Amino acid sequence: MTLPILPTAIVGSYAMPGWLERLKTDYFARRISRHDLDEIYDAAVKAAIKDQETAGLDVITDGELRRDNMVDYFAERLPGVQIDRSSKKFYYDFYDSAVVGKLPMASMGLVQDFTFLNTFTDRVPKFCVTGPHCLTKRIRNQFYPSEEAFATDIARVMNMELKALVKAGATFIQIDEPYYSGFPEDLAWGVNVINTLVEGVDARIAVHICYGNRYGKPSWEGSYRYLFPTILKAKVQQLTLEFARRGGEDLDLFKEFNAPFELGLGVIDVKNTDIETPDMVAQHIRKALEVMPAERIHVLTDCGCFHLPRDVTFAKMKAMVEGTKIVRKELGK
Amino acid sequence: MILKLNHLKVKAAATTQGVIEAVYALVEEGLIDQGQFARLQVELDWIQYKSNFREAVTATQGYNAFGQPAPIMDVHVDTRQVVPETLRGDLLRAIHRAQSGAEEDACRLPLEEFQSLRSSIVWKFNRFFWRHLLAWEAATGQGYDKALPGGSSDGHNPRAIADDVAEFLDLLCVLRSKNQLPAEVNLLEIGVGNGSRCAQWLDKFHELDQQRGTSLYPHVCFYMGDYSEDTLNKARLTVAKHIDQCRFVQVDAINPIKSLAHLRHKILQVHLTNVYDNLPDEEVVRRDGKLYFVQVRAYVPTAAVNSIGGKYGIPAELFRDRIYHMLEAGFDSFGGPQHGVPFWQELWAAMRLEERLVQLEDLPEFPFPDGLDAGKLEDILQDAPTDFRFHLSSGALESFIRTLPLLHPRGYMQVFDIFVTDLAQYRTGFFGPGKLDGSLLNWVNGALLKEVAQREGYDVHFRPFKYRANTHTSILYTTRRE
Repeated sequence: MTLPILPTAIVGSYAMPGWLERLKTDYFARRISRHDLDEIYDAAVKAAIKDQETAGLDVITDGELRRDNMVDYFAERLPGVQIDRSSKKFYYDFYDSAVVGKLPMASMGLVQDFTFLNTFTDRVPKFCVTGPHCLTKRIRNQFYPSEEAFATDIARVMNMELKALVKAGATFIQIDEPYYSGFPEDLAWGVNVINTLVEGVDARIAVHICYGNRYGKPSWEGSYRYLFPTILKAKVQQLTLEFARRGGEDLDLFKEFNAPFELGLGVIDVKNTDIETPDMVAQHIRKALEVMPAERIHVLTDCGCFHLPRDVTFAKMKAMVEGTKIVRKELGK
Repeated sequence: MILKLNHLKVKAAATTQGVIEAVYALVEEGLIDQGQFARLQVELDWIQYKSNFREAVTATQGYNAFGQPAPIMDVHVDTRQVVPETLRGDLLRAIHRAQSGAEEDACRLPLEEFQSLRSSIVWKFNRFFWRHLLAWEAATGQGYDKALPGGSSDGHNPRAIADDVAEFLDLLCVLRSKNQLPAEVNLLEIGVGNGSRCAQWLDKFHELDQQRGTSLYPHVCFYMGDYSEDTLNKARLTVAKHIDQCRFVQVDAINPIKSLAHLRHKILQVHLTNVYDNLPDEEVVRRDGKLYFVQVRAYVPTAAVNSIGGKYGIPAELFRDRIYHMLEAGFDSFGGPQHGVPFWQELWAAMRLEERLVQLEDLPEFPFPDGLDAGKLEDILQDAPTDFRFHLSSGALESFIRTLPLLHPRGYMQVFDIFVTDLAQYRTGFFGPGKLDGSLLNWVNGALLKEVAQREGYDVHFRPFKYRANTHTSILYTTRRE
């Protein structure tokens, strides 16, 4: 499957409907069964896929609607991680989770969710995973001598899972590492961990680095300058960064450091319900074209749309698609 | 009958005994029927505000949305006002009045229809007070802050300011050490009054910044927010020596982000003192597993209409019109504030609220404040008492929810106010509405704010205000939730 120039996509999560939030909480309160919840997830994911396709996106995710948050979905699946299931009151809270011994090599069961996505779209599917650095910040380490050692072992387990995803047909995998921006001092070992994670994984690999999106709000502020030049050692194809909310000043870093990556260009602010116009989107893309050819740019939301209302998310996606069409036309593509 | 004692103040035992005797006597005499007696809930309150909206005995009938009486009735006895000799008569009149559901009552001049407290005329009076504060102060001969417990605003407490400045400077140093200090260090105070807290705060910050050699004072950008331009102009003079560090913005306390949208996620500290307790509010009653919305109607007792009207030459039939005219046009019809203000003060002192309870699930149009809906309220009430009356704190909640997005990821918000920090607290006292000078006062449902904020991604803590003994003030402290 070939992608058009300036392919469009959301970063990962789709709008989480209020009714699904309540049903997730109902599951925690033992008011509905796991079987019912899984059926509800299937229906919700199909709707999210359909919305993305109808809006005209080229790359499709499952909307991450099965996930309570970006950590617990993986913490629950990582073999050897202990979870206190009584530790959260609201589904979006984080579990109190801990690692107390060496992580064994075992499947995380992500293939099933990817296969579901792949079955219900004929466009390019993108599967997103939370990166090891982020997971070490939320899972208490009671065994490894350092965060780096813990993260490296997570990468070792997840590497096997990413290879399984590729075997199941995944061609595009995104790794989410929002905590880099809060802990820039970890970046050097963080990049090594990414390289362990993607070693031998035959797919387009993107790394998404933002300033946090917990509850739809940034967790940190600053400049992407901290990424450079260390990030250049990452063996990935794409860096996916937020620019719509923060402005495009940091785009010049790609030129300054001659970064070889594709750019996942955030053109939609997911921390604000105001809907961008296609012209605003086009303007963001034109600015990026000053530092990079169109062939290396993917047009994206700044981050996941988890906290946006569904109608707002849909309208933002439509604006993103229309704005991209304007630039494609200008480029004669 | 259920009898609830909501306080342990003086006279509690004697009054309780008196109420029980009076109610039983009325039943034995056939003046209250047994069915009515069975569903009666009598609450004994101690209303700490000398001036308030309650009569000594108030009865509140429950209704469904179709106007049919529901089988609940609350009777509130203000043990501070009650006189043993008249208790029996007061009880009987209150119950019969509520039971009959009479729209017309020769003893009262209603000023409006039954409606949400939030939209009641009493809030027009509250706005009128702030608009004509100078006239009120001239008449009373003292500033409004003298009416506050302790005689001044807790926000101006020098030790509280010093501690806050030190904590804030520490935060800035941490951010600088991580290379995350913004170029402009934005702060916001909503409801700046005469600006003296800002001035004290900036004095202290400048001093500490120099002592520590941190050189952060030039980066400070202090947004002083108030709804009144006149107030901001006064505040401008108070902070004259820090003028380069100050910005002056007209802010609607209920919707701060409307005028400050450009500062979304950019403010490192937001401060409010005694703003939330003076924002429009509603009350809700939870009884027998159902929720009832408290509707109110403001009225003036006919006796007060006659005495005040006689004194100011206002015939009873024109009394209501003159009130509305005053609220719209000021004191012109009185020949100026000299006569208008005393009329206003006497009227405000006489004004009361009658209440009725309307079942909430029959009100699909119920105006939930931003941040709250029926589902969330249901979740929040899961661990709450099954039988109690609480504030929805609509204005405070909206203000809070519409201020939080302004906070920088490492910023914090502090609110000095009177908070109910646990829903169970509502069963142990009266928390408003009361009158403070010409303004309205409600304790703020901090427990509700906390739950709603958590869903929005913020942690809320309450600290006691340790800088003044015997104060009810506490500090709501909010930071981003991980």
